[in-house]
Amino acid sequence: MVSRTHLTLSMTSLQDRNNLVATNNSIESSSMRPMDRSDSATRIWLYSGIFWMSVTMLIGLIEAVKLFYPEFLQGIPMLAYGRLRPVHTNIGLFGFMSMGYLGATFYMVPRLTQTPLFSERLGSLTAWVWNLNLVGGCLGILMGYSKGKEYTEIPFPFDMIIGLLVIAIAGNLFSTITMRREQRVYVSLWYILLAIIPFPIYYTLGNASKFSGIEDAIINWFYSHNLFGIWLTTLGLATLYYIVPKQVNKPLYSHIVSFVGFWSLAAFYPWNGGHHVIWGPVPMWVMTASVTASIAMFVPTFATMVNFGGTAWGTWAIMKRDIGYRFSLMAYACYVGASLWGTGLAVMSLNAKLHFTNMTIAHVHLGFLGFGVPGLIAFTYFYIERSLKLKYSRPLAEWHFWLTMLGIVGYVVSMGISGWVEGSAWEAGNSPQGTMVDRYPYHVARAISGLIVLLGQFLFVTNVVKTVNAPAALTATSPDALQS
Amino acid sequence: MRYTRVFPIVIVLSILFGLAFTGLVIAPGFASDIARAPTVGLVAYTAPEARGRKIYAREGCVYCHSQQVRNVKADENMVASYGVSKAGDYFYDTPHLLGTGRQGPDLSNEGRIWRRDIGQPARDYLIAHFINPRQYNPSSIMPSFDYLSEQELSDLTDYIQSLGAWKDNVPAEVAS
Repeated sequence: MVSRTHLTLSMTSLQDRNNLVATNNSIESSSMRPMDRSDSATRIWLYSGIFWMSVTMLIGLIEAVKLFYPEFLQGIPMLAYGRLRPVHTNIGLFGFMSMGYLGATFYMVPRLTQTPLFSERLGSLTAWVWNLNLVGGCLGILMGYSKGKEYTEIPFPFDMIIGLLVIAIAGNLFSTITMRREQRVYVSLWYILLAIIPFPIYYTLGNASKFSGIEDAIINWFYSHNLFGIWLTTLGLATLYYIVPKQVNKPLYSHIVSFVGFWSLAAFYPWNGGHHVIWGPVPMWVMTASVTASIAMFVPTFATMVNFGGTAWGTWAIMKRDIGYRFSLMAYACYVGASLWGTGLAVMSLNAKLHFTNMTIAHVHLGFLGFGVPGLIAFTYFYIERSLKLKYSRPLAEWHFWLTMLGIVGYVVSMGISGWVEGSAWEAGNSPQGTMVDRYPYHVARAISGLIVLLGQFLFVTNVVKTVNAPAALTATSPDALQS
Repeated sequence: MRYTRVFPIVIVLSILFGLAFTGLVIAPGFASDIARAPTVGLVAYTAPEARGRKIYAREGCVYCHSQQVRNVKADENMVASYGVSKAGDYFYDTPHLLGTGRQGPDLSNEGRIWRRDIGQPARDYLIAHFINPRQYNPSSIMPSFDYLSEQELSDLTDYIQSLGAWKDNVPAEVAS
């Protein structure tokens, strides 16, 4: 492991390039319970995230088929479209994205602070409880106990348990950050702080409140956009800011730009919620504030674009060699794309045409499927290679990459065109039910894209399971091979 | 920046989040232009309608059906026939069911299409449509709700027929 002097090395993105964690080597013995060993929390969170990612993709595919062949699995109340859809979104939010990226967070925080996690045991326990709780919540929705408001569907008490768990997780991470040995705070930690501090406030507000009418709608969107914006996006960006400099083996392009990007995101993102009710029966100032903030989101997006673009510039050789890095770039490109797209959809004239169409679905999936999925995959490959020092199957990963790429493009393009066709038809005086036939081919194309993504995911899970369970001696890569 | 401390970051983040919280959560509570009163003529849900509304929320109807007519070109026909949705129209709605997508039509005025005064034929149509939407529109992608009980179908029908129905009972001079 590492000597203490090593820990005082200057704070660069490369400071832990040898993946040395500042855990006390002497206590890391076989007599410890598995849940107390370092990175045990990371593993549970990450593998759970990958599991839920597969589940949400599968449910998404079932829904996609139901949207052009509604008789599919008809007659089973628990598999009705209207019940599967909230399960798909809630597993996407709280299963796949939250758990996967918390896995990355539990990995990053001890390394960036050069401090062992405050409580590895608490980290592991929260992960298990989170999993059980999510199963309970989803069964609740499937059995017809949905709260019925988007992104707050998980019924009581499961919704409140998520809030309590986040408080425990935030306490664990925040304590680690406060007790840190490394005084300097890398940009990933800023994003993590933004993710863990306000969450309990807007989560409780969104899930436990009983407002009515338009006020309920505004607060619903305030909550859910914060969930996407300053919980999932921040954890995702923190992960990319952490792994990309390591993958390319050079420091971040500019810390000033990441500073600008972070603070503008923190200032504008929480205001975005109102853009779900543009043209709706809300006061003009709610719309104005939200449209302004949505358009101002161009600033952090542009900063991220410059920063990652600058860091990735001239790394073609690494791109060719490192499939995990390619996934990082895919996530980065889709993040920029989804953010610019979101800004575009908040422009009043475009919103009027496209708000209720499949264009929204395309935008959301560019965010989750384009940014969330590849980002977590990139971290997983990074983790297997750099931390577990294992070598995954390259042909499988290569197939996984191209299938995922094809699936994302197919999904976003088919839904994007469908959205435009719908919006144009409505403006020409047609109704949603009148465009049913026009949407059919795009809905089929979307389901095929989903199937392709799911195939890639199957290869990915196979690859990870086989690699992690293979005898280490056979597959371990030497650090020298990685540094070349 | 080299020695950024955590405490100032936390403070500034709290201020930035607090500003948005004030703007989008607290301010609407005091704003005079958010309806504190129902639109003239709006009636509260009856018991069967309220039960039907719960079924509507539980079965996820909201994911494909909006309840919101906007003053935009895409909604032109609905605006011409029924007018634009106003904040007061939603006074009794907890939770709100405004919706974010339209795989199917907007339902905020469905009770004015399948009016109560049509009597049994309207109810029969709605219930048969819930059970098998493709009986009426072969290209429909609406799920079949054949697993709902007769009572549930009846409550849901009551709710659908209440949507916007009250607008027909408002005297013209009051509405304008």
